[in-house]
Amino acid sequence: MSHATVQLDHVWKKFRRGQLHDSLRDLIPAVAKKLIGRGPKADELQQGDFWALHDVSFEVKAGEALGIIGRNGAGKSTILKVLTRILRPTRGRVQLTGRVGSLIEVSAGFHPDLTGRENVMLQGSIMGMRPAEIVRKFDEIVGFSGIAEFIDTPVKRYSSGMNARLGFSIAAHLDPEVLIIDEVLAVGDLAFQQRAFGRIAEMVRRDIPVVIVSHQLERVASLCTRAILMEHGRAIYDGGVTDTITMYVQRASQQDTETLAAASDCPVRIGSLNVTTGNNYESGTTASYEIRVETLTPVRQEIEPLQVAVRDMQSGTLVFITSASGLGVDIRQPGARTLNGTLQLNLPPGTYLLETQVTDNYNHRAIAVGPEAVLNVVPGRHFRGQVQLNAELALAPAGDGVRLDAAG
Amino acid sequence: MTQPAAPIPVPGPLLPPAEPAVPPGETPSILRDLRDVGRDLWGARDLLLQLTRRDVTIRYKQAVMGFGWALFMPLMTLVASVLIRALVQTASGKGMGPANIIGMAVKSLPWAFFVGSLGFATPSLIANSNLVTKIYFPREVLPLSAVLAQCFDTGLGIIAFTLALPFLGFHPTWALLWVPLLLALLLLFTAGVCLFLSCANLFFRDVKYIVQIFLTFGIFFTPVLFEPSMLGQRLSRIIWINPLTPLLEGLRLAIAEGHNLAEPLRQVTAAGVTVVLWTPASLWYSGVWAVAGSLIAAVIFHRAAHVFAEYA
Repeated sequence: MSHATVQLDHVWKKFRRGQLHDSLRDLIPAVAKKLIGRGPKADELQQGDFWALHDVSFEVKAGEALGIIGRNGAGKSTILKVLTRILRPTRGRVQLTGRVGSLIEVSAGFHPDLTGRENVMLQGSIMGMRPAEIVRKFDEIVGFSGIAEFIDTPVKRYSSGMNARLGFSIAAHLDPEVLIIDEVLAVGDLAFQQRAFGRIAEMVRRDIPVVIVSHQLERVASLCTRAILMEHGRAIYDGGVTDTITMYVQRASQQDTETLAAASDCPVRIGSLNVTTGNNYESGTTASYEIRVETLTPVRQEIEPLQVAVRDMQSGTLVFITSASGLGVDIRQPGARTLNGTLQLNLPPGTYLLETQVTDNYNHRAIAVGPEAVLNVVPGRHFRGQVQLNAELALAPAGDGVRLDAAG
Repeated sequence: MTQPAAPIPVPGPLLPPAEPAVPPGETPSILRDLRDVGRDLWGARDLLLQLTRRDVTIRYKQAVMGFGWALFMPLMTLVASVLIRALVQTASGKGMGPANIIGMAVKSLPWAFFVGSLGFATPSLIANSNLVTKIYFPREVLPLSAVLAQCFDTGLGIIAFTLALPFLGFHPTWALLWVPLLLALLLLFTAGVCLFLSCANLFFRDVKYIVQIFLTFGIFFTPVLFEPSMLGQRLSRIIWINPLTPLLEGLRLAIAEGHNLAEPLRQVTAAGVTVVLWTPASLWYSGVWAVAGSLIAAVIFHRAAHVFAEYA
């Protein structure tokens, strides 16, 4: 049993935009003050500073896996750096006891001129393994990486995938009491990714505290029990992993709309989206919807006047995208129109968001975001997997049976 | 600037995690810092060894000279000393014996060690910035592993030198017992300088160029190619300010001259002037530099280490 704890207690971290100290004239007084412990406003914002972490508190107990999600620059990695002692918080306390295994930059210590074997020893030591332990686990590590035949080749001749695989394998054989993972879920080719994911899942289930930062929401969803949503350095939501991801996806699309409202030179206005068949569907059944669109000025060829998409709220990924042009409906000339559409929801059970938008085909960016609707898909005919293929299976009429061993 | 919305009372100095809580109000103490440095380094001894091994391995991999590197720099220094000495002694009309060569070789090795250590250790934090910004470990191991790698080189040089000694007409004396102390002080002093310079180079990237310039001209202010007494009474005093001077001269006197360093040594020149070749106090002078310097450097490094990831 592990009694390791991970705790952030009102942690603030100050960062500076641009250069830290421009010259000796700035630095010497600053360092001198720091050294005598009398930096008068060391924990307050000066000009050009901002809070990379703004009063963040959480605790992760043994057996709990906490996901941290949010946009780039929201402070996710800063949390991990504060946790792993790479950065010291400006205010607040960090408590982390027990041997930490960080799956962060798993091949950072590799030296290109050293062989794989030498690098395993080096990287293992950097990650805090004892030499005897590395030697004991060496075969296992190399076996897991699947690059045994190149282990005595200098790492500079490795492909980037091999590099990452070896690094991950070392980290995966740490025996941590606290596990910290940052975006190493996509390592190597597909086969290795699955092996790595399985290994992480195995480590997560060891009844130790786990903290995971990732943009792969479906991975977070399947590994974590709880998640925190970070926005501009603040933890704005802390709850069950599905709730937090839903919150993140909703806020992300809201923010898009807010930024788009300013640029209102859009030729098309999507007035309303009305799902006429309700919100709840059995997997494999069809939803009907009605969209009112007004085309204000003739739409240029590179603009798609109406895009319809379905987003998986659990993972945040778009599972289906189509468009008026793609479906053969021309709404490029000015006029107000009503469109009727259907979607066959061949989807696994879950919550989905039906989204509408006007898109620039050139860069696949939204020019304007229209209304959205929630679609709940509940289990229909039983299946597992990612797509409902409306499978049929029946017994053939009696008497047609052919003995298999007699077939040839 | 105004206080942000929810001010959090800060309990005393902010310590890295995984350390016992500090009672509020306790000021950072130098003794505690030193204890932390010691504990961190002991905990990271395996890493220190692995990094040293890495530094040694890559220095000899894919290199023209291979292990010849260990001897190249000291040998070049020795050749230069012999040349200069030959010049001086031809001018003054005196010959040069094997004992002189021992004296010069004895000083070229530690000087090569000092130069090599500074050269590799000063940029060590920047060269490993991918580690410094990504993974936590006691940062002291980076400059110190550069010094240890240099120890390996110098060790090879010492072995080669020892093997050559019998051919130079060397007779062992009890004064050799001073050598371990002198080498330990040299190591300590070098480690302190390296800790300080690697830290400084992280904040100001041109420190390594300044160091190179200092080392290039440092050989004129360090008695490597000459002996302080050659400069005469007044100028030699300046040379003795250099903390390396007592260490280098001590090594020369103990090994080449068999002089017991607890005793002062004077020489009366042909002109009847008494020249001081050695005073025991100068060893204390270097000792204070080595011990105090390395401790101060360790404290500075330790206190600055928590911002390394932000500057690297």
